[in-house]
Amino acid sequence: MFECSVNGDYVRVRTPFLYPDGDFIDLFLKSANQGVTTVSDLGETVRWLNSNTLSAKRSPKQAGLISDISQTHGVEFFRGMLKARSSEPTALADAVTRVSQAALRISDLIFTSRLRSVESVTDEVADFLQELYLPFERNKKLIGRSGKSWRIDFQVSAPQKSSLISVLSSGSRSAAQQITKSVVATWYDLSQYKASPEPLTFISLVDDSADVWSEEDFNLVESISDVARWSVPETLSQLLTA
Amino acid sequence: MPLSDAEFDAILTDCTKLIEGDIVWQEDEDHSPSLEFKKEIITAGGWPLFLKGTFNPLVPAITFALISKTSGRIYALDLGKGHKNPDGRRVGDTHKHRWSEEFKDKQAYEPEDITAAPDNPIQAWQQFCQEATIQHNGRMHPPPPIQGDLFL
Repeated sequence: MFECSVNGDYVRVRTPFLYPDGDFIDLFLKSANQGVTTVSDLGETVRWLNSNTLSAKRSPKQAGLISDISQTHGVEFFRGMLKARSSEPTALADAVTRVSQAALRISDLIFTSRLRSVESVTDEVADFLQELYLPFERNKKLIGRSGKSWRIDFQVSAPQKSSLISVLSSGSRSAAQQITKSVVATWYDLSQYKASPEPLTFISLVDDSADVWSEEDFNLVESISDVARWSVPETLSQLLTA
Repeated sequence: MPLSDAEFDAILTDCTKLIEGDIVWQEDEDHSPSLEFKKEIITAGGWPLFLKGTFNPLVPAITFALISKTSGRIYALDLGKGHKNPDGRRVGDTHKHRWSEEFKDKQAYEPEDITAAPDNPIQAWQQFCQEATIQHNGRMHPPPPIQGDLFL
């Protein structure tokens, strides 16, 4: 059942649909001149997603899904709000249905978030590399100058050059420091690959969805590798193909 | 590994949970009507916890969510939006989500200790911290005003 009530400048429509945690999906109607009524979630769907994730930024995959869902249901995604307009009273129900369904589907993007699924940031990076059509190998085993065997998260073979990517991801500051030191040791021991006739670029990809990395951590890895932040995937793309 | 009921109770009753520094509301990546903040929670037990706050002044609605980096959202206060529990029972527009092994964060109840209005995030924050036993060494800045007719 749809329940309507006056809510400030809007009419709130409490739909029977629920976000994945059981919260009701509410829509808001506002009428303007010339009889046009706008149906919107006022950004509540995106706010619900943001309240359930630690990521500073949506992944390219999630952004693409939002765009696709909006197109499927004929709604506008404007400044984080889902919107549809109705110029005829008879079309209002259709607009409410479309925005409702778009909100429902977009909220299910929470299941593409690492906090709700078993997917790791490394899996997200793999998805990203696939979208860029860059051939890659995961868990690449390489022998360092010391004779020690190392496992590197990705070896990527772009047309311009090949690169090794180590993904730095942690939930705590103390673990972050240990991971940083381990990655620096890895790059140091594998330095002969930078000097080979087919040199490899070393990329340290920092999962900055959690604020656990200090400036010193970044300085350490920057001294021996190129650094990219996962919140800015374009940087990784540039490092791989420059 | 999902959080157990015992682990959740231990987190909620842990009185060493601490947030340092002021809280400043910021725009989200979409420049939507909502504002947000994220703060790390320091605990003696080393739980990987964060606090995410969101506020939509157009509705108005507020959410404060305690998020575990390994288990997702485990505790949250919602103001300004209704809820339906897995058993079909409806819960009012001020409700708290509480983690359980059976329902994860889908089970909510109406708390008696939250009297703040959904357009008063500062008061809501103070009341939220009390039951969640979170100490905040700092202050929450008032959210900047927004111009509603720029959105709709």
